Amino acid sequence: MATLTVPNPVTDQVITALEQAIGKEKVRTDLGARIARTRVPAPFPVHRFAEYMPDVVVLPESAEEVSAVLRIANQFRVPVVPRAGGTGLADGAVPLHKGILLDIKKMNKIIELDLVNRTVTVQPGLNMLKLNEYLAPYGVFYPDDPASYPVSIIGGRIGTSGWSLIGSRYGHTRDLVISLQVVLPTGEIVRLSDGGGAPKVRKASTGYNLKQLFIGTQGTLGVVTEATLELFPKPEAELAAFFGYESFADAYRSTGALSTSGLGTLAAVILFDERKVDYLRRDDEAYIPLPERIKAVVATALYGVEDEVRAAANRLFRLAKETGGEYLGDELSAGDWASRHDRYATPLHGRLPDGTVVPMSWHCEDAAIIYSELPAIKQKWHEITDRYIQKYGIFDNWGMFFYSNNPYKGWGDYLVEIDIGIWEQALNEETWQAWVNLKREITRATLEHQGSISACHGACREGDAEFIPVELGEGGFELMKKIKRLLDPNNILNPSKNYLHLAYVDEEVGA
Amino acid sequence: MGDEVRAAKPDVAANGHNGVREIEQEFVRDHLLQAYGCFSSGHKFCREVCPVYQVTRNEQHTPTAFHANVVAMEKGAARLEDVAENYSYCTLCGGCELRCPNTLFVGDFYRNRTRTVKLVQDMRAAATKAGLGLWPRWQRWVEATLQGKNEPVLDYENIQPVDPNRVADWAKDLPFSIPQGGENILFVDCEAAYHRTSLPKAVAKILHAAGVPFGLMYEQWCCGGPSLEMGYPDHARYLAEHNVADWKKAGAKRVFVLDPHDYISFVEMYPQFFPPEELPEFVFMIDFVAQLLDEGKIRFVKPIEKTVTYHDPCRMNKRLGKWEAPRKILRAIPGLTFIDVDHVTQWAYCSGAGGGFAVEHPDLAKKIADLRIARAKELNVEALVSACPWSERPLTSSGREQQLEVLDLLELVAEAMGLND
Ligand SMILES: Cc1cc2nc3c(=O)[nH]c(=O)nc-3n(C[C@H](O)[C@H](O)[C@H](O)COP(=O)(O)OP(=O)(O)OC[C@H]3O[C@@H](n4cnc5c(N)ncnc54)[C@H](O)[C@@H]3O)c2cc1C
Ligand code: SF4
Ligand code: SF4
Repeated sequence: MATLTVPNPVTDQVITALEQAIGKEKVRTDLGARIARTRVPAPFPVHRFAEYMPDVVVLPESAEEVSAVLRIANQFRVPVVPRAGGTGLADGAVPLHKGILLDIKKMNKIIELDLVNRTVTVQPGLNMLKLNEYLAPYGVFYPDDPASYPVSIIGGRIGTSGWSLIGSRYGHTRDLVISLQVVLPTGEIVRLSDGGGAPKVRKASTGYNLKQLFIGTQGTLGVVTEATLELFPKPEAELAAFFGYESFADAYRSTGALSTSGLGTLAAVILFDERKVDYLRRDDEAYIPLPERIKAVVATALYGVEDEVRAAANRLFRLAKETGGEYLGDELSAGDWASRHDRYATPLHGRLPDGTVVPMSWHCEDAAIIYSELPAIKQKWHEITDRYIQKYGIFDNWGMFFYSNNPYKGWGDYLVEIDIGIWEQALNEETWQAWVNLKREITRATLEHQGSISACHGACREGDAEFIPVELGEGGFELMKKIKRLLDPNNILNPSKNYLHLAYVDEEVGA
Repeated sequence: MGDEVRAAKPDVAANGHNGVREIEQEFVRDHLLQAYGCFSSGHKFCREVCPVYQVTRNEQHTPTAFHANVVAMEKGAARLEDVAENYSYCTLCGGCELRCPNTLFVGDFYRNRTRTVKLVQDMRAAATKAGLGLWPRWQRWVEATLQGKNEPVLDYENIQPVDPNRVADWAKDLPFSIPQGGENILFVDCEAAYHRTSLPKAVAKILHAAGVPFGLMYEQWCCGGPSLEMGYPDHARYLAEHNVADWKKAGAKRVFVLDPHDYISFVEMYPQFFPPEELPEFVFMIDFVAQLLDEGKIRFVKPIEKTVTYHDPCRMNKRLGKWEAPRKILRAIPGLTFIDVDHVTQWAYCSGAGGGFAVEHPDLAKKIADLRIARAKELNVEALVSACPWSERPLTSSGREQQLEVLDLLELVAEAMGLND
């Protein structure tokens, strides 16, 4: 039997092989190197810190070096976990079985800018902010804009199939990647594009659409080593408008009306529920002055050519007003939108039930839910969260956001986020298990309402992963397992993520 | 003036391995809450701002890692000696603290901003106290500083002490003489006193032309800041005590400071050692020049036909929030075309010279300087103006390679005042 469910440890022999293949200076076994790559921002069982430390860190600089690392991993049957920015919120880059941590951040070169065909080809270790700084003088931009825009990295965006704040206008990561170079788990290097192999063609029907298969795999099927990306004209105008409502029901209806308005420049519609507004009023200086009658908020943004944006703004303001929205002013709108990226995880906004401020870690649930189910999901998730807060006292409910999720069009489904604070310093095994159970209940509610567990972060964590077979159904998950086993016969690439250890268990019992 | 010194001269090599666990525990205790504030965020907004990370792209040389190590130590997953070496990969520029949402959004409200600079300094001190012997070049640097009373800036390679008797040699060929002592004292940083002597000369001429009386110290020693930054707080204090005694003897009420590194030592470190009444007022020369301009006490008479951009010294811009005065001065110089890069963008800029980084990691420091010059080159300027002599040495050297002139702001002021004619 070639497969393994319990991976081999990293021995001195493995280290020597890695050093010979890519050079001593790119292979690090010191604790500093390993600790720095142990966690991502998602809640972490800190009481079990050492369990998640990789054994060795490799810092390759080319596809060939990545390939060499994967071949060694196959030879010795040791796990490899790809890590990009390490900002993922679903533990994709956390080593579950120690092993080799493959950090791609040194692969940050811009390979080719093609202004004629509107593409830029890059290595995956580059950050979007840095890419756009480079592109700015040419009047073009790469619009993948998550709240983690200054910190996440293109390889990780592809690894997670990320969601962009302005995706309803420009598409999300998977819509912006034209083609990919991927190193397969067994070390072969392939180039894949949409339905074919032509690196700069956006739509083709020659072969299978293999490109999409490698987006959102959490590094379980291959390591992306190059990507050709879509360029847009830099928007002439960006307008953010925030509206306040006297009830969530009003704001919900208005969200529906705004997102189905047909405005082509509409880049985002974001609904804040009452609990989110309460939380912001409690702790966020920008929101503290909001009048009491405002119970919910809808944020919108228009991006595009100036003439279009100006005309669209008129329509947008009218629609918002007709549906009960009160404009919250330029200062809040522009200010919040400009700092939207930074306003998520602020640990000192965490409070215990008695009001004591403690540094809390941030859980960001990110289910994808259809519009009709939003009110029901909101009620269920809050009920679940509040119950656990009462019982365990180390969590905090930071309210909910609902973001337009459909690429190029704002309607249909929403990225639904409940933000929960977790006081990590006080975690022990009992409270950690309570946390996982809380997550499980949230996930069950998602599935009951025809939702998908994750819109963008992925479903690698306990509390999510075990429900992947449920969401995909038997046939669907069976297919996933077959693909994983086909491409990664020795189960070396990010083993056990997405519940894919089952791909090998079946084989062993002959199923 | 040795008899003025109250502290016993500490021995650089005296610390031993004894008590490393106690040192570790104390360090963890001091920093744990802050460390969790970062560890539990882990969002790394600070990362692409960090000048060291920008050239290493190694996640272990980031503020996030510096804080995570503290939690790892608390959880028994690491010991001090396993992680201490990483803390030499920092220029103490302060950029990460500003870019941290914990500083931006709760800094004022909860008075709990992220303090990575302090964390790094304390770790360096803890590692040194524990006798880990990680940084031989810093040890030599501090030893040589104690011997020469000033930093060994003339020989980076072999780190040989300077001759303390020559600390005021820069003033010798000035057309006027400067007395010792007095109410106003000009403090001339080690780098400026021994290496970039054109700078103190320019400053002396400016003060002289503005009719501001000033003197020099009887015996100026290093401010002590670099010793603190390299992990030797006792030595820093030893040097500081001499300077404070010297000022007292001189009857100093005001000390003019021409270097940002000295200035931050005086306003951040000295108040930890001495009560306020023992300290004079510290006046940063750039601020003072801006004030003299405002009051019409100095005038720019000579046009300088050049296109320049400005480098915000980290300690001024990032650590003390001083970025307006230099821009005001540059805009007032006739003939000068000033292409500004705003001070927030410059949170990510650094020369690589600070925090002892260039002493311990000269190759990486050079990469940082190269990057800073390359950014200036993109603006199609003829020169990069800085206001920190420490930055000017590496920037000048990278500038030479990339054909970009590097100027000092106060020297430029003297030139525009026509004082070099
Ligand atoms: C404050 C904050 C705000 C956020 N906002 C958003 C948001 O608006 N939208 C959003 O989508 N996400 C958001 N996130 C989550 C996170 O930034 C994204 O999931 C991002 O795509 C992760 O990128 P990364 O570079 O950090 O990847 P990592 O976390 O390092 O890795 C993510 C996954 O990709 C895999 N991977 C990494 N490199 C490769 C490669 N070269 N080939 C194949 N697989 C690879 C890893 O193994 C892992 O499974 C946010 C996170 C934070 C901290
Ligand atoms: S220092 Fe601040 S920005 Fe950086 S990871 Fe820590 S909390 Fe986040
Ligand atoms: S102080 Fe500067 S060099 Fe040090 S970690 Fe922060 S940003 Fe990096």
